[in-house]
Order: sequence, then structure tokens, then C-alpha cells
Amino acid sequence: MRAARLECEKRWSLHRANPFFVLGLPADATRSEVEREGAKLLAMLASGIEGAERAETPLGPLTRDAESIRAALAELRDPERRLAYEWWARGLMAAGATPR
Amino acid sequence: MYIGIDLGTTNSALAAYDGTTVRVVPSAQGELLTPSVVRIDRGGTTTVGRRAFRFLESDPANTRGEFKRLMGSSERLAFEASGRTLLPEELSAAILSSVLADAREALGFSPQAAVISTPALFEVPQNHATTRAGQLAGLDQVVLIQEPVASAIAAGWAADAQGLWLVFDLGGGTLDVSLLETRDGWLRVVDHGGDNYLGGKDFDNALVDWALARLGEEHGTAQLSRDNPKARRALGKLKAACEQTKIDLTRQEAATIATPELYLDPSGNAVDVELAVTRTDLERLVSGLLDRSIEVCQSLLGKRGVPVSAIERLVFVGGPTLMPVVRRRVGEALGGRIAEGVDPMTIVAQGAAIYAATAGLEARPKATPPPTAGMSVRLEHPAVTADIEPFVVGRLLPAEGERLPARIRIEREDGGPAVEAAVATTGSFVVQVGLERHKQNRFRLRAFGADDKAVPLRSGLFAIVHGMSVADPPLSRAVGVALSDDTVHVYFAKGTPLPARRTFPHLTVQAVSPGARDDVLRIPIVQGEFQRAHRNRLIGTLHIRGEAVRRSLPAASRIEVTLELDRSGQLRARADVPGTGESFEDVAHVLVPAASAEVLERETEAARARCADVRRRAFVGNLPEVVVGVERASALLLEAGAGLPAARGGDADAAQRLHRLLLELNGLLDSAEERLEWPELEAEAFNAMHACLSWVAVFGTPAEQKMFDQALEAARLAQEQRQPGELDRQLRVIRSLGKAAYARDPESVARDFEWYSAHISDTTDVRRAQALLDEGKAALARRDLTALRSVNHRLWDLFPGTAQERRLSFGSSVH
Repeated sequence: MRAARLECEKRWSLHRANPFFVLGLPADATRSEVEREGAKLLAMLASGIEGAERAETPLGPLTRDAESIRAALAELRDPERRLAYEWWARGLMAAGATPR
Repeated sequence: MYIGIDLGTTNSALAAYDGTTVRVVPSAQGELLTPSVVRIDRGGTTTVGRRAFRFLESDPANTRGEFKRLMGSSERLAFEASGRTLLPEELSAAILSSVLADAREALGFSPQAAVISTPALFEVPQNHATTRAGQLAGLDQVVLIQEPVASAIAAGWAADAQGLWLVFDLGGGTLDVSLLETRDGWLRVVDHGGDNYLGGKDFDNALVDWALARLGEEHGTAQLSRDNPKARRALGKLKAACEQTKIDLTRQEAATIATPELYLDPSGNAVDVELAVTRTDLERLVSGLLDRSIEVCQSLLGKRGVPVSAIERLVFVGGPTLMPVVRRRVGEALGGRIAEGVDPMTIVAQGAAIYAATAGLEARPKATPPPTAGMSVRLEHPAVTADIEPFVVGRLLPAEGERLPARIRIEREDGGPAVEAAVATTGSFVVQVGLERHKQNRFRLRAFGADDKAVPLRSGLFAIVHGMSVADPPLSRAVGVALSDDTVHVYFAKGTPLPARRTFPHLTVQAVSPGARDDVLRIPIVQGEFQRAHRNRLIGTLHIRGEAVRRSLPAASRIEVTLELDRSGQLRARADVPGTGESFEDVAHVLVPAASAEVLERETEAARARCADVRRRAFVGNLPEVVVGVERASALLLEAGAGLPAARGGDADAAQRLHRLLLELNGLLDSAEERLEWPELEAEAFNAMHACLSWVAVFGTPAEQKMFDQALEAARLAQEQRQPGELDRQLRVIRSLGKAAYARDPESVARDFEWYSAHISDTTDVRRAQALLDEGKAALARRDLTALRSVNHRLWDLFPGTAQERRLSFGSSVH
């Protein structure tokens, strides 16, 4: 049971780190919106502005830093990978709340 | 002002970008290119560039070129007359100092920061040496950029191009091919390919070999053979003449390789060389090299599933691409849409300068601003962006007694529309500004109190350039830690955006006692894509020495290793020992290993035997796809054989090239062997599937059973398509599901324990393992399976792989 629970938790945190959730954007965000939001969050983190380090996702709160934001941007720049994240984000958002 | 430098194998160039236009700074001789050549005369005077180049053939003992190919190695290059020896990075520093002095003359200040370009396939030691060269030349800040990215930035800067680009960069020693994508003004490197052993030098060598063959027919070759160290000077002269002839043939149909009194024939008579050669002759000689370069491009496109018709633009970079035959053959093979208005010789420097602006790397010395009254403010905004409405984020920092303004306003200096935003109670604000396309947009930040009175700010002027945004540079090859069982724990996969930082736990496989000089824990850091650690390049080793630890560290201690790569691919590593609270950052940066001619000869022979063996097994096993795979290995083997005489003759560059070639060759043979093992892999898959099927069917959860079915289907497909990598991956999934189900079988704990008992001789600590076995036997006797499982976990930590695997894996002390 422990192994199954660990596996489940691992998958949960993997989905929570969906780049759309990390950036707090809907799955239909355009390339420009993705880049703009990423740049804004990186600037907010660099300025130490409150709130930038935390995001709400349909799977619970998420802590983000400059590295996770850059990684999310890199993932969404690849059209094939983005497609997979879009699919998961749509499904999970339909089941839960919209990320803020 | 932003500075970009193309530190090339043959020539170097420096470009300056002021936010509007980019220009290449000429040398003191008025040329846009500075030959990457250094000369030190008898009196110790150093000359660089064109003046040194003139001595390259007449005085090779005191004049050095092409040292970029030795960057990152410990090979010291001698200047005989002065008795001085210098590292390749010191010679590169001399080139950088020269182009920076030209910049000082042209711009009126000494640049303090610059972007320097490096080949995409440079590894960590070479990048480290390049940064060091920049520092030695007096730069405070050095950022590296991959050459193809720089080329694409420069080529796409002014154009509103969309789609896929192929950058074909044929340098003196290497071919780099990069697939890039521009969309909505954002530039992304999709993938790289290349050949580390194919460059303009090979085109020259093809002509040199032809000339040597012709001279051999007429006068005999003993005096002028590549493995005769005494022929170095004459060969240098012949090479220079061939290079010049190659250049002449880019403009004319026929030319002559001419060098008077090149060498003495067996009778002691001076031989004047005068060989007529036509452009058709040259095209025939380099045809095979061009086929290879086109194959590299096609293989890259094939890997990414991109048809040739999808390439919107083809960018040529590097001197050899000026040859009409290169443009024609490569252009025809890749769709023919060649980018216009691009100077292949300076494009890299121009792109590097524009990238310096993107990275906010101001080259002017930082002047201390005169003290002005007003509130401090910290602003964050992109220096260059493709976004027409970027965000500006700021924080006002009031001194004690000062009151925060209520709102801010950002005004355009050209009088355009202003934007306003409220200031949060923490002093922060976030606002979007509008940009005019393809120009520098200047802004002034102003602040106002609740009473609408202006609040003076200490600084508020800033500029944003609208242009192409460059995605974080991707890592060209995976980086990870070599483990004691000769596998790699990958920290950063190929393509990871930089900068990046990751931490993973490991277990030590040997003890370290405080003060013990001989106790050293080695954590080798490797770069490459191979599963077996020793096939990859060692790029650094993190040491934990007995002299440095305060408390003893027994075998199987947990340590956490952190690797960090900056934007330029510079590596930093740290090991933390949670048990003692100690941290270690003692990283030995490994140089590109020295390659002695004897070792290379032995390795070439071993590779030859291995290649023959793999080919024979492929024929016996009737595996035509492996035979095809071995063909490329055979071609590399031929090249290795051709490179040996020069390595024997003391050519350090040839030795390094051969060393890298052998690494690649062995990697290819590894893959071929993997394919040879296909029948074994299939049998293994069959057994694993059946063994796991019964475990999952009896003990698996419904979810696991569903996942198992999916993995079985994927494995079946991989078998059908004969994809060993994919089958291996699916087998791992099948095994892990099987293992999870197996663990639920109450009897599995006892079976695992039996395995450990039978293999006690493989442990790192026999005494501890013996004690654990005793503990386990007692638990088994009383049927305490929880206690037995805990014993098994601890036993696992003591089985880190065989001594042979550990030795191969650079003596790794972790798993």
C-alpha cells in the first residue's frame, strides 16, 4: 500500500507542476502570453514581490522559483510537449478549479 | 554599448551594438577579421593577428595558430626562440586583448564585459577555458553563447521571419548544424547536430594529400611525409599554399599550388612545387566531405521529423562556406532557400553583440552615479524583447522617514502615451508598457504622492529594445554523476534550459576517516549521452578528502550532491553530508585529457579489432541493420588511421582530434553491440513480461494492472519495430510494476534476503553486511517480516557494483 500511495503522490505532484499551472495560465494561452507571463513572474521574483513564489492549482498550492518558471517556459516552447501539457491541464481544470 | 566576440579557430572578430545598429570593429590594419595567430620572438615580444600570421609558414616554431582546437587541454604550446610555453587559453587571451584594444580605439572606452561565442558542441572544460581567456584579457564579465544561436540572432534580427531555420556552420575544424525556430519574435534552438571531425581544415588536407601524392610520384615521399617531425615546416608551407589555392578557386576556375624550394629530395636538390589544379579537381577531392556534411543535416532533420521543404531559411556561416561548391551542393540538398545579406565571416560576432544586449551585459565601465536626492527604486524589465507590451516591475525603496508614493507613471521620452499604476503598500508596482517595433524605446519613471505632488526619484530612466527574444540556451549534452556501477545519474538532460541547478541524494561506497590522507571520496561529473559512465567525458571531480572531514564518514553514508550550470555552461558542484552538517566544494576541473601517441595507437588497434568483431557477429546473426551501423564506425576508423601519423609526428591538435574520434567510435560500437544483443534483449523481455505478469495478476492493484497492459502493448510494438531503446524503456516500466506487486507477496522479503546471503562477497563492507545477515536470520527465525525488510533495505546500500565497474566509472565512490 505504501508503494502505491507513494506512486500516487508522485503523479499528483508531477501534474501539479504542469507548466500551465506553474505560470498560472489557461491551457489555451498563446505563445506570446506564455512568454509575457513568464517574464513578469521572473521580474516579480527578482524584485521580491509577494505572491510570485506561490501559485494555486486545481491540485493544491504550488511553490515556484525562477528555475521552475524557466523550466515551464522551456517545456511550453516545444510544440509537441506543449500539446501533452495542454491535454492534461484541460482535463485537470475541467475536474477542478481554474488556476489563479 | 554591447560587445560580441567571435573567437574563431582561424579568425576572430569583434562587433559592437548600440541598441540600434550593430557594426564590426576593424583591426588596426583596417580589416574586419583578426587572424587567430600569436607570435613570440626571440626577445619575448608578442605580436598578434595579421602581423603574426605573416610568420606562420616561415617561422612555425615561434608562431602558433588554430589553438582553439586545444582549448581546455593542458597542452602547453612552445615558442622555441624565447623559450616560453603558453596554454591555449593564454594564447586565446592574447587574441581577445588584441580585438579589445581595437574596440577601445574605435569606441573610446575599454570594454569591461562581452559575450564570446563557442561551438555548440564545446563541452564544459572548453567553455571553462574560454571564460578564463576572457578574464585573462581583462574582462570583468564574460557570457558565452553558442555560435549557431549567435548566427541565427544576427540573421533574423531585422527580418520578421517565421518558421524553421537551418544554420550550417562549417568552421576551420568542426561542422555545427543547428535547427532553430522563430515564432512571434521568439528564437528557440530546436536541436543541434554536427561533426567534430569535419571542417575547412579537412578540405585543405584533401588538397594537401593530393599534392603529396603528386609530389611522391615525382620525387619520392620519405622527406615529406606526415609522420616525419622534421617535415613540419615544409608541410606547414605546403598547407598554407593549398589553403590559398582553395581560396583562389572560390573566385577562379583554375589556380596553382606554388611554393619555391619546399624541401630537399633524396639527392639533396631543392624541390620547387608548382601544381596546377582546377575547381573541378577540388570539387572532386572534397565531394566525400560534402556528402558527409549533408548527411549530418539530413540526420538532424530526420531525428526531428522535419522535411526539407519545411526549412524556411538556410544560413551559411564560416569561411569554407564561401566555396561555391559548398553553397551549391548543400543548398540544393536542403531546399535552396539561402538567407541573403549575411556575411558568413562576421555574422557570429554580430549575433553575439546583439545577445549581449539581450543579456543586459553593458560593456562600458560602470561609472558611479553622482549622488542625487530622491527615493531609490529598483526596476526589472527586459533589455531586449519581442513582446510589444512587456511588463515593467519595480519596487520603491524609501529611506527612513520617507513616505511611499501612491502611484507611478511611466512616460515615453519621445512624448508617446504614458501608463500609470498604483503602488502597493510594500512599494512594489507592476505595469505594462507599449513598445515601438524594431527600435530602442526610452522611458522615464515618475512617482506621485496621494496629494498628486511629484516625488523625486534617484533614478528613473531606462530603455527597452524591441527585437528578437532568445530563449534560455539549451544544454548541448547531458550532465550527470558517474556511479560506482558504471551507470550515470543524469542531473541535466540534453536540452535543459540554462541556468539550472539540481540536487540528488547518493550513498557512499567507502569510508572516510578524519585526517586520513589516503581517504578520498570521488564524485565524478560526466558529460555525454551514453548509459555507461566511462563512455562519457569526465568534466570534473568533486572530492571529499579525509583531511577535510571533521567526523568519520562510514560507507553507505547519505550525501546530497548539487550541480549548478550557469547560462554559459559553467559548472559548480557541492556535496552536503546531512549526517555531519559538512559541505564540500572541492571540484577539480578536469582538462581535456592529454593523449599520447602510443596510447592512441593502442586504442585505435583495439577499436579496429572490436569493429571487426561486431561486423562478424552482425553477419553471423544476419542483422543487416547492424552492418549498416558499423559502416559509420568503419569510416571513423579509417580517419583514425589517417590521423595517427600526424599524432606520431608530435601534432598535439591531431592527437586531441584522434582522442575525441575514438570516443565517438567506441560509442557507435556500443550502440551496434546493443543491437547485436537484440535477441538477448528479446529473450529478456519475454522472461520479464511473464515473470511480472504473474506478480501483477496476483498482487497488483487494478490501476497497476491497467498500466501493465499498456506497457505490454508498447513493448510489443517496440519489438515489432525492433527499437532496442524503447523496448528497454518499457521493460523498466514492466519491471517496476512487477517489483511493486512482488513486494506485496509476503514471501518476497525472504527471497530477497536469500539473494543477499548468496552474494555477500560483492559488498563494500563485509563486516557490516555479516552483522546485517545475522540480524536478518534472527528476524526470519521469528517470522518478523517487517524487521527483515528493514535489513534488506540496509543491505542494498552495501551492494554498489563490482570493483571493475567502479574502476571504469572514474573511481566513483557513490551510488
